[in-house]
This record gives sequence, structure tokens and C-alpha cells, in this order.
Amino acid sequence: MEVAEKKALKSIAIIGNPNVGKSSIFNQLTGLNQKIGNYPGMTVDKMVGQVHVGEKHFELIDLPGTYSLYPKSEDEIIAHKVLNGLGVEKPDAALVVLDACNLERSLLLGTQVIDLGIPLAFVINMKDLAEKRGVNIHTFALYQQLGVPLVMTDARNNQGMEAVRDLFQKENFEVGKPFHKMGFPDLLDEVKREFKLETDYQAFQQLIFADFDPLLPVDQQKWLKDKAKTFGFDGMEQQARETEQRLGQIKALLASTQSSGKGTPKKLHAALDAVFMHPIWGYLTFLAIMLVIFQAIFAWAETPMDLIDGAFAAASGWVAEVFPPGVLTDLLSEGIITGIGGVVIFIPQIALLFGFLAFLEDTGYFSRVVYLMDRMMRPFGLHGKSVVPLISGMACAIPGIMATRNISNTKERLITILVTPWMSCSARLPVYIILIGLTVPDESWMGINLQALALLFMYIFGTVFTLLGALALKYVLQTKEKSFLMTDLPIYRIPRWQTVLLTMYNKSKIFVLEAGKVILAISIILWVLASYGPSGEMQALEAEKEAALEAATEEQKHELASEFASKKLEASYIGIVGKAIEPAIRPLGYDWKIGIALLTSFAAREVFVATVATIYSVGEDVEDELTIREKLDKQVYADTGEKVFNRATGFSLMVFYALAMQCMSTVAVVYRETKSWKWPLIQTIGMTIVAYLGALVTYQIFI
Amino acid sequence: MTAAKLKPRQTYEIVSLSVTPLLVRMMEMGILPGKKISLFKKAPFKGPMAFLIDGNIIALRIEEADLIQIKEA
Repeated sequence: MEVAEKKALKSIAIIGNPNVGKSSIFNQLTGLNQKIGNYPGMTVDKMVGQVHVGEKHFELIDLPGTYSLYPKSEDEIIAHKVLNGLGVEKPDAALVVLDACNLERSLLLGTQVIDLGIPLAFVINMKDLAEKRGVNIHTFALYQQLGVPLVMTDARNNQGMEAVRDLFQKENFEVGKPFHKMGFPDLLDEVKREFKLETDYQAFQQLIFADFDPLLPVDQQKWLKDKAKTFGFDGMEQQARETEQRLGQIKALLASTQSSGKGTPKKLHAALDAVFMHPIWGYLTFLAIMLVIFQAIFAWAETPMDLIDGAFAAASGWVAEVFPPGVLTDLLSEGIITGIGGVVIFIPQIALLFGFLAFLEDTGYFSRVVYLMDRMMRPFGLHGKSVVPLISGMACAIPGIMATRNISNTKERLITILVTPWMSCSARLPVYIILIGLTVPDESWMGINLQALALLFMYIFGTVFTLLGALALKYVLQTKEKSFLMTDLPIYRIPRWQTVLLTMYNKSKIFVLEAGKVILAISIILWVLASYGPSGEMQALEAEKEAALEAATEEQKHELASEFASKKLEASYIGIVGKAIEPAIRPLGYDWKIGIALLTSFAAREVFVATVATIYSVGEDVEDELTIREKLDKQVYADTGEKVFNRATGFSLMVFYALAMQCMSTVAVVYRETKSWKWPLIQTIGMTIVAYLGALVTYQIFI
Repeated sequence: MTAAKLKPRQTYEIVSLSVTPLLVRMMEMGILPGKKISLFKKAPFKGPMAFLIDGNIIALRIEEADLIQIKEA
């Protein structure tokens, strides 16, 4: 084992089963002193917080919730690597959170950590519930038998947290008594020597993880596999044996250290489940809850989004006015400030959605949704856990994709990430509204407004494509992993504001800091391409504009400004590309002006409206939908004299925007969540091809 | 008989678990031979089943429930 270097801070890893209140304890101890980082080569975030107790400071590493240390997903691989200091710095001690109502289950993980030989302490959480259930834990007897310091807490109600801080203050972490004796002593000795490990159990884990650790060098992997073969060591069989024996030992231990009460859910919880898990009411309540959330997001996100929009526009204008005109000022005001604005604008939606999701998660409701929806999702290669990300995608794909974290099956998670952008997000709304206004008559059919019907149709269209896309990917993507559902339905609890607010804050921070960089870079590139063109032309236009403005009257100036904005966009690199792709998009019913709008709106779909306004020189007042509509309605092809925005073109554009990626923020988030450029690129290209074909078919049908 | 077929309002005992890659996962969730098991809820159209084991509600798909051998207690 490496000798721990002198560190400024002692580090402590916190680990526990899912739903034991581990994050509650982590949040209580660290508050806002949390940092999100990466484990190299892994998609799981590294959460590290700082704990200050008196004069002492500690680094607290939040490990993912697991039931054991066996390799099943990245969560366990990370726990394994951190607790054994493989490839990362080994923590000085571990804090294991146990569930007072489920000591047997908790101690499986707890005694595994003991056997790794790391100094540790136990926190037995949810003592309030155990008391209510009549479970009595003899802590001193437990301490004597395991040799591990332990405290009882009720972290939700902030009880016992002083005792936890005291553990830190006194650095009361001890190496427990070896709990379980492993078989294959000779094999384990060899592994210990080869990898310089201390305990048998570390060696056992190293053997088990040989197949799963993607960062283990190939020669070491081979060495471990060869050794296992020589000794006739079968990993799966040994895990099952160990679990069975360990649980047997735990049962015997608990017989003398715990007296248990009767274990049935309380009446209130059963009554709640009678509704929430009901074959009819369950689905209706879920639908109602989702409607309320959406209503709230649309109602509450709009104002802050408008404020952000206004503030960045003002800042951009201020810079342009105050600084000397030139390339740098333009870059700052139109490229960088607008780009940052494009990132910040998403915060209200992300924070609100995650606020609601954290609230529902914390009550214990979400696992019921997984239970209810799993059957419907399975035929499409999705999981019950895919439902929340997909539905979130109807507000915005970004929080939806960020919410796929808890889907443990890699394939199901990937499919969910890849299809979520097809759900009709709120950024499509302005595009749909303009196009429906242009192409669908404002008339009623059997009392239903046709325009409203068209909008509803677009939402259904998106959902259908999402499910069909998932179905196709189910057959395309290959995996060895078997899909399964095995989930605890925890008892209902009153959510804590601290958890909700911290989740809102952390998710927004992740988005701004990690996806934000990519979004800013792309928006600057797009800005450069839209503002600059081949040498001379831009300057010539600028000079022409100055001359025209000199001669113009006050009233004409406005019109001239928008006319030149249109000409400049036409002469820019994006304009040139837009013209170049015209032959390719003509079969879809688009002219080169729409081509330019398609290119600029890769930044975000709603940019389509602004670009169309510029290119058709509608004027500065983009907010005025009617003006845009009237102006667009008058556009005709120069060669044929036909209307550009006829019904077929409008429908074709709507289908294109329903199906194309057209959102660099989503690309950035997919990159972050899959930790590679492979999937966002495949996704963007794939969606663009489908969108092209869909728009082509639509145009040809309606023309 | 397996847990996929147990009747409501009746308590059973887990006899054994089939040896599959899910075995360890089941054991660590507290699904163990000797434990009492009963049906809590069933999702419609052969969806997941929710079982009551040791005071915990655990949801499984029918395929997974089929790996749990039970007998009447």
C-alpha cells in the first residue's frame, strides 16, 4: 500500500445503501461547500464537500449509493477504486451510513467496508423510524462485536448530527475487527503481493473487479484472470457464497444486538400507495402531478427568462455603445455576451424542473412512477426510469438528459439520452406558432380551433417519433447487460427544502460550468460565421450603408438599417453556405434565406424566428409576431413568382424543427453525460438525416 | 411455485433463489431464503410486482419474481 502523503486535509469517504439518507448527512455536514468533479473515464460525478469542525477541516467524498461492493455498475467500481486508493488518492477513513430499520441489508455493505481494512465509523440513520417500528438496537454490544465506533442519527430532523461532528472532531475512526473469513488463502496471498494490498478482502475484490474495471491495465487484468483460472476461482460463485455467508453471520450478530418489532408499512403509507400505485388512480395522479409541474414551469420560468434576455441584451448594447467600435467590441457584445446569455437563459427551466424532481424524489414518490410506467416503456427498449427524463424533455431536453443519471442499464440510459431531444420542448413553441399562423387557417372545425389542433398534433408527432426512435435503437444498439427492475419503494417522507434547493443549485452549476463552455464556443463560432464574409464585401456594404444613411431621412433610417442587416447576413460565410445548400433544400420547399435560418438556428431553435426576421428585413422589432407573419406571407420566389411560405413549406419546416437537433446546448449536455463526442455527433447527424427525410416527404405530400 | 404466481393476502416463505447473474443483487436487497414474502401490489398488464419482504416494499418484474421459489408459510 502506498504511504499516504502529507495532505493539508484529511479525506473521508461517505458510503451507504440507496435511500438511507446518506445525501442528507452529506448535505448537513458540508452545506454549500460542495464541489462537483470527475472521475477519469467515468460518467458518474465526483461530489466532494468540506467539513469544518472546530479548528479541523476535512474533505468529504460522497460515494454513490450501493448495496454492496460487487461490480454491477460504475457506482460500485468507483466505490471500489476510491476505498482502495486505486488510481485516486485513498481516503483516510470511511463513514458508512446504515439504515436503522434495515440493519441486515446495511451491514452487508458495512462489514464489506470493515474487511477492506480502512479505518471507519458507522452512522445508524433513521433511528426515528426504527423506534416507531419497535426496533431496538443495542449499540454498545454492536460496537463491541464489530470494533467500529457508531452513532445513531435522524438526519432529516437534524438529530444526532452533533455526535457525527464529534466523530470528526476526535477523528474517531477505527479499523474494525475482520468480519468474514475468505476462502482461497493462497490465491489471495499472491494477489496481495502482486498488487501490494493489505487485506484478504481487498485481494478478493481485486480479483472480482478484474473483468469490470475499464482502467485496469490489460496485463494486470490478464494476470488476475490467469491466476483465478489456475486456482479454479469463479467470481460469480464466490460472490454468491460470500454474500450468503456474510448475511448468515450478520443475522447471528443481530440476534444478540437488536430486538426487532413488526415490519409492516404504516396505515398512512399503505393508504397513499392505494392511490399512487392504483391501476387507474395511480396513472391519473401521475398525469395530474406532471400537468401541475409543467404549468408551473411555463408560468414561473417565463419572467426570469425574459429578465435574463433583457439584461444580456442591455449589457450587449451598453458594451457596443461605450467601447470604441471595432472587432473586439463586436466580439464582446455580439459574440461573448450573447453567447453567455444563451447559456444563462436555461437556468430558470433547469432549476425549476430539478426543484420539482428533487421534491418528488425526496418524498419517495418517484420509485412508484418507475413501478407504474415500466410496463409501457419496455416494448420500446426503455425502462420505467426513462419516463421522468422523457417527460422533462417536453419542457427542455437539457434537464431531461441530465435526469437520466439514475438509469443503471447503460443501453437504456443511452437510448433515453438519444431520443429525449425529440420530445417537443418549449424552444420549438415560437417556431411552431409562427409557422402555424402562416399556414393553418384560424378557423374552427367541430368547435375545435384548427391552429390549436395543429399545435397539439406537433406535440404528439414528437412523442411518437421519440418512441419509434427508441424502438429502432433497441435493435441497433447491442449490449451484454440484461435489463431488469429491482427497486426499493421507500416509505413516504416529507421532503426537505435544503435537499431541493441544493439540487437546483448544483444542477444549474453543472450545466453552466460544464455544458456552458461548449455552448459559448459554438455560439462564438456561429457569430463569427454570420458576421464576417470573404474580404472586401462586408466593408463595401458597410460603406454603402454609411453613404445611404447620410442621405436618408429619419424615417428611412430604420428601414435602411434592417435592409443592410439582411444584406450583410447574405454576404457572410453563413449566407454563402446557405446559398450553397439551396439545391439540397429546394426539394424540402426552402429557399436560401430559409437555409441561412436553418444554419443559424443550430444554436437554438428559437433563433430561427430572429434570423428570419433579419433576413427578410422585418426590422428590429422581432417581438412583433404579426409583422413577421405579414412580411413572410408576401415572400415570393424570384424565378417562379410562387409564394415561399405556402402550406407545404410551412408543414415541411415544422417537421424539420420537430426532428432536427437544432440545439447546441443539448449537444453539449449529451457530450457531458456520455463523456465522449461519439454519441452527440451520431445523434446530431442521425437527427438531421431523419429531419431532412421527414421534411422532404412532408413537402412532397402537401405540394 | 415462484413469487410470480403468489396469491394476494397470503404470506409465503422464500425457499431458494435461482442461480443467475441477478442472484447476488437479490440477496443484497434482502431477498433471502427463509424470509417471509407477500404481494403488496401488482401493476396492470403484467407490469412489475411489488412485494413486501421484511417490512420493505420491493418492486420486481415478473421475470425476476420468477427466480424466487416460495412455499406457503
